[in-house]
Amino acid sequence: MVANGKKRSREYDLELVEETACLKDEIGIKSSGSDNRNIYDDGRSQKLTADEIYDLKSDSSKAADIVETLITNSNTFHNKTEFSQDKYLKKKEKKYFEYIQILKPNLRIISEILYKLEPTKVQGIRIDTLSQIVTMANLCCEGSHLLYDSGSNGLVAAALLNAIGDSNTGRLVHMHPGNMSQKQALLAMNYSPEQYNKCVSVNVYSALRQYYQGCDTNSSEKILEVGESNSLKRKGESVPEECTKIPKISETLNLNIEKTENRYTQEPKKPKWHFDNIEASNIISNKMDSLIIACKEDPQNIFMELSKFVKPGRPFVVYYPVAEPLQNLYVSLKSQSNVAALKLTCSWMRNYQILPERTHPEVLMNGSSGFLLTGYILK
Amino acid sequence: MSFRGYKEKIEDGDVVILYLSNNLHAIEVCTEIKNKKGEMVENVYQTTFGALKVKNLIGIEYGSRVELSKGWGHVIQPTPELWSLTLPHRTQIIYTPDISMILLQLDLVPGSIVVEAGTGSGSLTHALIRRVKPNGHVYTFDFHDHRAKLAQEEFESHGIADYVTVQHRDVLEKGFSEQVTGRADAVFLDLPKPWDGVPHAVDAIKAQGGRFCSFSPCIEQVQRTCEALTQHGFQDISTMEVLQTELKVSRRTVPVRDLTFLKHKSCDNPVEEKPSSDKSYVVGAWPATTPGHTGYLTVATLPPAFLKRKLPVTEAENGKSVSTEIEMKSDSDSEEDKLVVDESVL
Repeated sequence: MVANGKKRSREYDLELVEETACLKDEIGIKSSGSDNRNIYDDGRSQKLTADEIYDLKSDSSKAADIVETLITNSNTFHNKTEFSQDKYLKKKEKKYFEYIQILKPNLRIISEILYKLEPTKVQGIRIDTLSQIVTMANLCCEGSHLLYDSGSNGLVAAALLNAIGDSNTGRLVHMHPGNMSQKQALLAMNYSPEQYNKCVSVNVYSALRQYYQGCDTNSSEKILEVGESNSLKRKGESVPEECTKIPKISETLNLNIEKTENRYTQEPKKPKWHFDNIEASNIISNKMDSLIIACKEDPQNIFMELSKFVKPGRPFVVYYPVAEPLQNLYVSLKSQSNVAALKLTCSWMRNYQILPERTHPEVLMNGSSGFLLTGYILK
Repeated sequence: MSFRGYKEKIEDGDVVILYLSNNLHAIEVCTEIKNKKGEMVENVYQTTFGALKVKNLIGIEYGSRVELSKGWGHVIQPTPELWSLTLPHRTQIIYTPDISMILLQLDLVPGSIVVEAGTGSGSLTHALIRRVKPNGHVYTFDFHDHRAKLAQEEFESHGIADYVTVQHRDVLEKGFSEQVTGRADAVFLDLPKPWDGVPHAVDAIKAQGGRFCSFSPCIEQVQRTCEALTQHGFQDISTMEVLQTELKVSRRTVPVRDLTFLKHKSCDNPVEEKPSSDKSYVVGAWPATTPGHTGYLTVATLPPAFLKRKLPVTEAENGKSVSTEIEMKSDSDSEEDKLVVDESVL
C-alpha cells in the first residue's frame, strides 16, 4: 500500500508486487545487547525529529531505507536484545511496509472478520462456537435443516450453507422475525446462485401462518399464472392483514409500506417472499433433520414451537450469548423428558505465540464464547 | 449403514445409539452374534435396566422409546458426534470441540479432498467424511496395520467406505501415497513428529494452495512444527487450544437469612436462629474437574504455487478486504531476488 496525502486525508494506492520483503533480511543488524539495563525511556533515543521522519517517509522509495535511517539515528537500537530488535522491526514493518493480500472468502475468514469488527453484531458467536453449532447439528450435504436466527447478520446461515455445499440435495429454511433477513455474512461468502438458493429465508410469522392456515396453497399454479389478476388481488388483501397480526414488530407501518411497494414494483410477478413462504411451509411439513436457534429473544417459546417440525432422533442446537435463558430451557426440557443427551456447554479458546524461545499464550484472549444447549429430539 | 445418510427406521446392520438415563451406548444391530465358544446365539444387549433383544430393534423408528425388562431407553441414529462418545477406543481420540475447529480451520466443504494421518480410532475420520461427501474424499493413513484394517472394516459396515481410502503406511518415512500428490485441499496431521510430515503435506496440497492443521499435545512439538511450516513457505501460521466445559444445570433452593429484625427491640428473642424463608434459583454449576488440555491445533495456509517462490517469510496480514483473486501487493517495488523458501522443496 502506498500512502498519499496528509495525515488526516491519507489515501492509499495499491501496487501489485512480485515479491514481498522482510525488514529483518533487508537490514543487516550488526550488534545487539543482552538485556535492557542501559536503556532509558527518556524520549531522546531517536535523534530525528517527527518532521524529519515525515520528510524521509515521503522522499524515500524503499521502506528498508526509512527504517535503516531510523535505526542509524537511534541511540538505543543496538543495545536492545535480539528479541526486542525483532519486535521493533515488526512494528516498523507494520508502519512502513503495508502489504495486503486479497483472499477468496471462506467461512473461517468471514467469521473472524465479523467477530473482530463487532462481536455484538454476530450475537457474540465466536469461531469455535460457530464450528460446534455446525457439527452438533449434524449438518451435511443432504437433509432439510431449520434455522431461526435473529441477530447474527447471516453468519449462522452462512456456516450451515457452507456445510450443505453447492450441488447437493440439502435445504436450509432460515426463519427470521423481521421484514428482511440479515444476509451480510451470507452475501460475503460469494456463494454460487445454486448454493445460495438452497437457503429459503422467510419471515417466521408468515411462514408459520402459511403452514397452519394455508393462505395460499396452489403454489404450482401460481408459477404458471404469475400475471393472473385474481390471485394478485387476493395477495393484495392479505398483505395488510398479515401486518396487523405482527404486533411485536415496531416497524409494522414500514413493513406494510415496503411490502406493498415491493409488490407494485415487481408486478406483474408476485414477490419472491410469497413463493418462499409456500416453499418453506412445504419443506417444514415434511419434517426437518435438524433445528438450530440463535436468537435474541427468549429461546423457550421458539424452541417449543419449532421443535415440532424436527424428526425424532435428530439433533438440535440452541445458541445464546449468556447462560441463564438456556438454563431455564434446560430445566423445562428435562421435566418434559422428550429430548435426549441434553447438554449445556461453553467453549474456551486460547491462541498462542509460537516463536523460538518466546512461546507463550497470547497476551489477550477472548473470554466470551456464548453458550450452546444441544440434544436430540425424541418421539 | 447408519452413517451414510439420514434414516427413518432401523435396519439390520445399522449401528444405533441407545440413550439410557444420561448414558449412551452404541449397539450394532445384528440378530445373532458369536458367543465365547464360537457358536451363533441370539444377540442380547445387557443394560443396567435389563436385557435388550437387539433383533426387536429392526423396523422401529429412530427416536423411539424401547422397552427393557426393568425400564426403558431411546434409540437414536448415530452422528459422528455420538460415535465419538461411544466408539471402541483403539487409540486416544479427538473429540467434538477439536473436531469442529479442525473442520472449520481446514476450510472443508462438500467436495473437498482431505488427507488425514493417522487414522487412529476413526473419530475425526467420520466427521471428515460427513463434511466432504458426496463428491469429496478422505485419504487416511495409519502406520499400524491392524488399526488400518479395523478402520476399513468399520467404514464398510457404516456404509461410508466409498468416501474414504484407508491405507496402512508410515507417512513420516514414506510420505503420502502417490494418489494424493498435488490433489489435497487440506492436510491434517495427528502424528508424534508432525514436523517431519510438513514436506509431505506440501507435496499433497494442490497447486492452488490449501490448508494444513496439526494436532499435538505438547508445546515442543508445536514449536518444531511451526519452524518447519515457516521453512516450507506456509503463511498465516497460528496455534490455538479449544476446550469445552459442560455446565451442570439444576434447580437449587437456598435458605434466606433475615437479619433486619435485630435492629429493633422485640418481644421474641430467638435463641435458635433459623433461616426464615427459601429462594429458588436455576443454576449452571461449573464442574469441579473439567478437561484442561487436549492438544494444540496448529493451522497454516500453503499459498498457491505461483506465489510460493515470491513469498519470503512475512507475517501475513489477513486483510479486511475480501475478493476472488489471490495476489500480493505492496508499496515497495520488488526487491532483490532474496528467497527464504528453499527451492528444493518446491
